[in-house]
Amino acid sequence: MATQLREPDRLSPADLVREDAVHRSVYTDPAIFDLEMERIFGRAWLYLGHRSEFKEAGDYVIRHMGKQAVILTLGKDGDVHAIFNRCTHRGATLCAFDKGSAPHGHQCPYHGWMFNADGSVRFVPYDKGYGERLDKGEMGIEQVRIEEYRGFLFGNLMGDAAPPLEHFLGHMKTSIDDLVDRSPTGELECGPYVLRHYYRANWKMTFENLNDTVHPGFAHAASVVSAKAVANEVGGPENIVPTIGMMMANGKPIQFFQDIDMVTAPGGHSYIGGHMGADYTPDTSDAYTASLIDYHGAEKAKEVLSVDRHLMLLYPSSFWHARYQTLRIMRPVRHDLTEMIGFVFRLNGAPEETYRNAIEYCTGANSAASPVISDDLEIYERCLLGNGFGEREWIPTSRGMDEDRERTNSHDRMPATSEGFIRNQFRAWADYMGQA
Amino acid sequence: MTDEIRLFVEREARLLDQMRYEEWVALFLPDARYWVPVSLDQPSPEAGPSHFHDDIQVLMVRTHRLANPRAFGAEPSPRTVHIVSGVTWEEDEEDILATSSQIMLEYRNRGNFDDDLRLFGGQVTHRLRREGGELRIARKRIDLVNAEGAFNAMLAPL
Repeated sequence: MATQLREPDRLSPADLVREDAVHRSVYTDPAIFDLEMERIFGRAWLYLGHRSEFKEAGDYVIRHMGKQAVILTLGKDGDVHAIFNRCTHRGATLCAFDKGSAPHGHQCPYHGWMFNADGSVRFVPYDKGYGERLDKGEMGIEQVRIEEYRGFLFGNLMGDAAPPLEHFLGHMKTSIDDLVDRSPTGELECGPYVLRHYYRANWKMTFENLNDTVHPGFAHAASVVSAKAVANEVGGPENIVPTIGMMMANGKPIQFFQDIDMVTAPGGHSYIGGHMGADYTPDTSDAYTASLIDYHGAEKAKEVLSVDRHLMLLYPSSFWHARYQTLRIMRPVRHDLTEMIGFVFRLNGAPEETYRNAIEYCTGANSAASPVISDDLEIYERCLLGNGFGEREWIPTSRGMDEDRERTNSHDRMPATSEGFIRNQFRAWADYMGQA
Repeated sequence: MTDEIRLFVEREARLLDQMRYEEWVALFLPDARYWVPVSLDQPSPEAGPSHFHDDIQVLMVRTHRLANPRAFGAEPSPRTVHIVSGVTWEEDEEDILATSSQIMLEYRNRGNFDDDLRLFGGQVTHRLRREGGELRIARKRIDLVNAEGAFNAMLAPL
């Protein structure tokens, strides 16, 4: 049985993470999950939303910070505010929809209390019934601290005690720059349609899988084999559609990934170099390149297009793919239940085709019906089951440990086949979890 | 003709339930699309990502894969039963537009009791075209009642 840590105060995370291994209870123990919500999701900067989601005062979206739901609303002051989705009277949640417009404020469905975008009390019906005992100035909803980086809004539950967002992002800013700089107007537009999937396993599984380049040849073998069979049937690889090409990319030999770089940075973040190749990028079409040159100048445009990165994992809650303008948020629900929420961004001013490519990538990368993702979800769930029993309690994370290619203050570089990104995540994990 | 359309829609669902995937794919025209949007108000597959947005090649990979022993999520294979109800149809210039209400019950024996059984349901729209006397599918759109929701792995086509 998994270790049940009934007294989280006594938990020493150092005992669960070793340099080259991790204790399986980090995936299976509900008490550890609760502590993660408090110490990791309660402390890290979490991606919440994009400026372009808010057009008019009162526009709002609901997002999660660990187990807590927050409402992001554009105020009349032009700022986006984040407040908990909870009435300060009886505690009912205020908003029931994922997004909407509340130009007059958020009203509680229970007794009609009404709150402004910034959480201050706007109106309390029958307030004389509470008399002087009700201080409306004291009954506002707490605001969550928000900071913005190039249009992306992040929240931090530590408030003023949190370090600045840019400090948290560190070297990973370059992957967000990579996304924004690809716009020929400098502007992005978050698409209105959101793609969600869930799985019955721990949230960390996604973080440890998405940049694992050794699993695709095995876990995704069935779609590789099927994609190849269909390519033959339609008269060869030159006749296949891009989605099939993406599935076939998983069949590349391990040496191919060995040659690609993985970059890790303090805080648990990482990315790997691009590997899906030019055959899946008709978006570098002439019209697009010309529009980028118009905006950035030839030199900078060339520099922007030369960046070739696959997913950037921003620990502990988001996954960024600049080249396909896809951003995913991971929402931990329980130790054994996780939701993934996918957004596609339009590069304003770019040819329509770039948006279609991004949509296609997002569908392939985040749909529960994707032949690739459905394999991953099955594996995550099998790991949860398998880690619930047996004698062996330690999971090795040692692959590629002696293969680092470069170490700097801001980041380390290693082969993309390394489990260095998992070790890096658990260093951050132990850091967060070790602070009471 | 009403009978013909209804029988076609019912037969299409039954081919899936009987795992006769090659015959099922053969019902689709070469430029057909199979679409499951993420929102009932999503105007087109180009407006945003989808649960499924398949052309014929992706349908071929999907069904080919279901028979592959390394498709772990299909091990054991999902078993389905469709209930098709209320088929109505209308004609425009070249096509027949059939709508139906459908429920699909899916079962995978993983030893997880009730969790092994899932229910999908919604409105299905077929755009059918007559080619050489045969009805073929140009478009199949499935508006799930929970289109906006999060789904766990879906292997069996709806």
